[in-house]
Amino acid sequence: MELEQGKRDILKEVANIGAGNAATAFSNMIDREIYMAVPKVELVEIQELPAITGNEEEYIACIMINFSGEISGKILLVVDMENVEKMLKLIFSTDDLPGKEMQHSALNELGNILSGAYLKAINDFTDLDLEQSVPAMAYDMAGAVLSSSVIDYSQTEDFILLLETEFTAGEEKLELFYFFIPEKDSLDFLFERLVGGNFA
Amino acid sequence: MPSPEQVAEKLVVKMADHAVGDENTVLATLGLGSCVGVALYDKFSKVGGLVHIMLPKNPGGKKIVKYADTGIPYLVAEMEDIGAKKRNLFAKIVGGAAMFKSESGDSVMKIGSRNIEAVKETLKIEGIKILGSDVGKDYGRSMYFYIENGKVDVKSFSRDLITI
Repeated sequence: MELEQGKRDILKEVANIGAGNAATAFSNMIDREIYMAVPKVELVEIQELPAITGNEEEYIACIMINFSGEISGKILLVVDMENVEKMLKLIFSTDDLPGKEMQHSALNELGNILSGAYLKAINDFTDLDLEQSVPAMAYDMAGAVLSSSVIDYSQTEDFILLLETEFTAGEEKLELFYFFIPEKDSLDFLFERLVGGNFA
Repeated sequence: MPSPEQVAEKLVVKMADHAVGDENTVLATLGLGSCVGVALYDKFSKVGGLVHIMLPKNPGGKKIVKYADTGIPYLVAEMEDIGAKKRNLFAKIVGGAAMFKSESGDSVMKIGSRNIEAVKETLKIEGIKILGSDVGKDYGRSMYFYIENGKVDVKSFSRDLITI
């Protein structure tokens, strides 16, 4: 699987628009300025996926949201445990965190809000009709979590296409990885829509 | 005198990959989630092999060690090439968890249990007995297979190390 420069540029633009809107929503949620790195479009060999956020044995939290409609795919939010705690303190505006259940709800809500904002921007840009599912979550070793998240896409493919954005929030330097992973069949549809429309 | 651990060569097996080795080798695979690590061992020739299975059945994919039904026979053949006898082989299997949960606590994506099933089925067809396993549930695992003695250590977060 290869990706021509033209298509890569289109995906970069999609990532930019989506992530920009997600950054605003994130900023509103935790009341901090968000720094957004330039989104990356990467074709990653499946074997490399477990270590994409760093060490594959590092303890992370991952919120996964499936989206469907005219195109389908997954959104993953990945935060290491140290940053999860910082983030929860910002969300609840206190160092005295509530119980685990409330913490999970808050992280799911964060997932909903960030993916909603990202998809909304893509929707406005491409006029694609997109719906998001309820979030699912995993806390564990990065390798175990990340490999499991996209396993259904690896049935016939040995590469995964990732639109990656790294957010850093406030003076706390809170880091969050955001992955937008379109299903392979959806890509052609996406290109057709964007190139065939007013994008080209 | 150096301990066996210092002498042993550690090979890390990535997802959808495999490795074989002799008694001076430790085969490791890190962060198994819904994937299943299958360690095969011939205690007489001291030949071991490990394959990191991602999916149950090969629909015609090129990377044949990614799938249980094609990956296990492939590993067996590689082990035979370096002196293992198929009739001496036994297996230890690790992984196959359901990592993701919805807010209501239900597991999503049942691929882990399907992987375990497919691994067991393939081993049965190959006539290889399972001597130890640590599979299922909802957490990630790393495994270390010491070919010197056939033991497999399983590490996970906030749980004690177990040896199978």
